[in-house]
Amino acid sequence: MENKTMKLVLSGAPHFVTGYDIQKTMGMVIIALLPALAGGVYFFGLRALLVTAVSIVSAVAAEFLFRKALRRETHVTDLSAVVTGMLLALILPVSSPLWMAAIGSAFAIIVAKELFGGLGGNFANPALVGRAVLLMSWPAFMTRWSPSLHAAVVDATTTATPLGILKLGGTITDVMKSVGASGKPALYLQMFLGNHSGSIGETSALLLLLGAAFLVVTRVIDLRTPVAMIAATFVASWLFGQDPTFSVLAGGILLGAFFMATDYVTTPVTPIGKWAFGIGAGLMTVLIRQLGNFPEGVTYGILLMNVLVPYLDKIIPRKFGFVKPRKVNA
Amino acid sequence: MSLKTFRGGIHPPEHKESTRDLPIERVPTPKSVVIHLTQAIGAQNQPLVKVGDRVVKGQMIGDVQACPAATVHASITGIVRKIEPAPQSNLKDGMAVFIEADGTDETAYMAPLDAFACSREEAIKRLRDAGIVGMGGASFPTDVKLAPPADKPIDTIIANGAECEPYLTIDYRTMMESPADVVEGLAIAAHIVGATRAIVAIESNKADALPVIEQQFAGHSHGIRMGTIIAATKYPEGGEKMLMKAITGREVPSKGLPFDIGVICQNVGTLKAIKEAFIDGKPLIERGFTVSGGACKTPKNLYAPIGTVIADLIPDVIQMSDDVRKVIFGGPMMGVTVPSLQTPIAKGTSGVLFFTAAESKQYEERLCIRCGRCANACPAQLMPMLMNAALDANDVNRADAIGLVDCFECGACSYVCPARIPLTQRFKLGKDLLRNQRAKEARHGK
Repeated sequence: MENKTMKLVLSGAPHFVTGYDIQKTMGMVIIALLPALAGGVYFFGLRALLVTAVSIVSAVAAEFLFRKALRRETHVTDLSAVVTGMLLALILPVSSPLWMAAIGSAFAIIVAKELFGGLGGNFANPALVGRAVLLMSWPAFMTRWSPSLHAAVVDATTTATPLGILKLGGTITDVMKSVGASGKPALYLQMFLGNHSGSIGETSALLLLLGAAFLVVTRVIDLRTPVAMIAATFVASWLFGQDPTFSVLAGGILLGAFFMATDYVTTPVTPIGKWAFGIGAGLMTVLIRQLGNFPEGVTYGILLMNVLVPYLDKIIPRKFGFVKPRKVNA
Repeated sequence: MSLKTFRGGIHPPEHKESTRDLPIERVPTPKSVVIHLTQAIGAQNQPLVKVGDRVVKGQMIGDVQACPAATVHASITGIVRKIEPAPQSNLKDGMAVFIEADGTDETAYMAPLDAFACSREEAIKRLRDAGIVGMGGASFPTDVKLAPPADKPIDTIIANGAECEPYLTIDYRTMMESPADVVEGLAIAAHIVGATRAIVAIESNKADALPVIEQQFAGHSHGIRMGTIIAATKYPEGGEKMLMKAITGREVPSKGLPFDIGVICQNVGTLKAIKEAFIDGKPLIERGFTVSGGACKTPKNLYAPIGTVIADLIPDVIQMSDDVRKVIFGGPMMGVTVPSLQTPIAKGTSGVLFFTAAESKQYEERLCIRCGRCANACPAQLMPMLMNAALDANDVNRADAIGLVDCFECGACSYVCPARIPLTQRFKLGKDLLRNQRAKEARHGK
């Protein structure tokens, strides 16, 4: 006995899907960034939270309004714009004007992401594109660093980052002085805890590693790229005669390695590609730091590698049952 | 202890609780059946009967025209009312013989045949005459599978009781209720291919079936070395190539077949059918299947004649809830949806699942975010996201280079995709495009 009005849905297998979707993925990344954001607030004050909030709101609004204007479906609930806004804020100085954060965020979303078709279509990391544009447009604001509120040595309202001190001709001893450290172990500890000047979310290795560990345990990110990037930075800095541990802890290496070089869309999917991407990004960062005009090179290092992704994805891993083809004699 | 397994795979919810402890129920003989002439992968069969003929249960009604194909038989005794296309669970409406029962239970089985005394040719002919096909879902003719080329010796035969598809418990019930038949069938199959060892493989979630099976080794192994192995509970552990890799460590070569590595794998239901074909002379005219799903009010395991129309089992045997939206023949990972309840049970039907509207939800497809979950899940160790990108760019050659034809459509990539891209579907389509392109190239002498 069949109900004649019954309509059955036809669809291709499988008829089952995991509950894990883009929104959950992005939600995990947001959770993983919270320790670094909390660190930013602790080291640089509540303004860090304000800059982050403005950046996030601007990113979400830009995506929503842009897609509305084009009469396309909006996807702001997938939280990817929140991640972009948050990441951009974490790589800005805490003293950034709010309008600048808003412009950077909107530029990141509209130009770097939506113009390429939205999430999944972009080839470069939107937050890094946003930062690169701000750095070129308002270099003064982008290099105006505030000291940590908990710094042992406070002698000015603005200061230089550890890498900035080196770029201006300072030595590692000058860096130690700037954070009030009496020796290298004390310097490393201050750098590890994040008690020095820098971008809102980049200073504390401890808090970044906490977030990264969460993403590794929940299998959101693959360790290959960050490990390669950090190792390449370590080795390359050492070859340039720098203190390799300091070089890894300073600047945006950890934030870049764990949260930018692991961005799914703009980094390779193949295992060899991931290693190559990490090594290339680390190498480029050190080259820019050592030979370029900027004290820091993570942004451009990763952006440059973003462009190479299609090539890095050429070498695919061995598939099940692969047999080496026999050579055919011509 | 780490269980044997393969690389990749997924852990979907099992949903086996509602039926795993329910004995297989035999349905009352239906008043009519619809038997498709072609039920196996391969060539179209021709009918041996015409409208108005009286047919007897077990009588061959469709014969093989070309290899590979499997014969079909009447599953009830009665009169042929019509021969016309009918809905089939592979979506293409195929020619079917409609038989109306005449109420008698006369049978026309073959004479028993001693597989251990007859020649190999006779044994293969028996498999063919009994219309045996792989009952795990693929429906590959067993007489072809058990007759590998002479230059491909087989040393191992695996009884596949992994049953990795969610919801399905029919293989488990078959092992629990007919262990002697399964072991006897395994011995026969091993003897036919000349395998020196036979292994019953299951997933760890059915470990209690193993002692039941092992008890039968003494009486039914016919001198063949038999053993059991517990593999990890993971989808698609029951995939032929995956199970072979898990058990023997050997990989079926790309574009090759299992006999290239000296292994043959048979579903436990098929082994029971093989036993019946030899010992009882009974062709494959009945089978067991699991009925389940969120919209099924009466989850159970059933044993029904091939050709039983699902609608005829409602409401006496099966009851559905009102919000049923999807009916699946097979499991949720690889099964096919059917357009109508008028679809009959086929030789390859391992389950009939009724899904509610919520379970049938269609998701919006987003752009690939390249998260890599599909590659981690792929048991064939392919890069589904790159194959998808190649197919999006209309580049079938690139998709082929990555391994399009090595995809065996298990559905694991689609299952894990957070962007809800129907990857498996895309690859089925891609294979068609590739075949067309290769055919075109061949025509142009390229």
